[in-house]
Amino acid sequence: MDMALDASGEETDEDLLAAYGQGDARAARILTLRLTPRVLSFAARLLGDAAEAEDVAQEAMLRLWRMAPDWRTGEAKVSTWLFRVASNLCTDRLRRRRSQGLDSVPEPEDDTPGAEARLLTEARARALQEALDGLPERQRQAVILRHLEGLANPEIAEIMEISTEAVESLTARGKRALKAGLTARRGELGLHDD
Amino acid sequence: MTDAELDSLFEAARVSAPDPSAALLARIMDDAMAQAGARAVPDPAPAPQRRPGGSVRRRLLACVLAGLGGWPSMAGLATAGVVGIWIGYADPVGLDAVTTAMLGGGYGPADLAPSLDTFLQEG
Repeated sequence: MDMALDASGEETDEDLLAAYGQGDARAARILTLRLTPRVLSFAARLLGDAAEAEDVAQEAMLRLWRMAPDWRTGEAKVSTWLFRVASNLCTDRLRRRRSQGLDSVPEPEDDTPGAEARLLTEARARALQEALDGLPERQRQAVILRHLEGLANPEIAEIMEISTEAVESLTARGKRALKAGLTARRGELGLHDD
Repeated sequence: MTDAELDSLFEAARVSAPDPSAALLARIMDDAMAQAGARAVPDPAPAPQRRPGGSVRRRLLACVLAGLGGWPSMAGLATAGVVGIWIGYADPVGLDAVTTAMLGGGYGPADLAPSLDTFLQEG
């Protein structure tokens, strides 16, 4: 179970959403703190663009607020539902981007001086993001949900509306492609002597 | 590249996950409160069936009312109208002090009222 960013880890997302549906502002605050980081990082990795990811996160959360009174407990996990909404929003944006021929704007470099280890971590994260950007969209989505968001295959299957076997196939192909794409950069990423 | 090496890149990406800005969290909370507020306000009752006669007049009244800002504005207008009429009839003593303070000594309440004298003169 994921740790929450708040002090009410014992309350499930479903309980909190039901409470918010009854007008509980505290529940909305906890859900905001708990779910926004997850949906934001998912969208940022899928889109490779921080500003667009913020828009997607806000829109996905807005849809969650809107459907709160109609939420049927036990039907799905709130986080699964939210990831699916965010995934669809990202897909729409990626399609629009392709049709407009726009490239994603590269993230500004963080100039904060820090330890060498931190710089290496950032370089690795950046290299992985670049490799992810080169994957077919469905592979990228499956790899992000499995290896970065840490979700189990059945939940990913539910989010992507495919079978568990299809998830396994997508993640396996995605990992193979990532390895192939990143092999040439092992040296610069400090992997040669790991 | 080995699985372990790829895992180290995944780990690097996990610890470099973007944190939501305070502004984003505030916008999302604003949305939550706005949605909760919208739900708290009951839907307006369905409009009663209008009879054929008088519907144009009612619609005109509704348009004027909407343009003025609805019934709360009408209440303000009604109050202002009543006070204006009362000032006109009662000519309260303290009004001179108010008009002097606001407009200066050269004007009186009568100067604020439109005059028809120009049009009534024979010429």
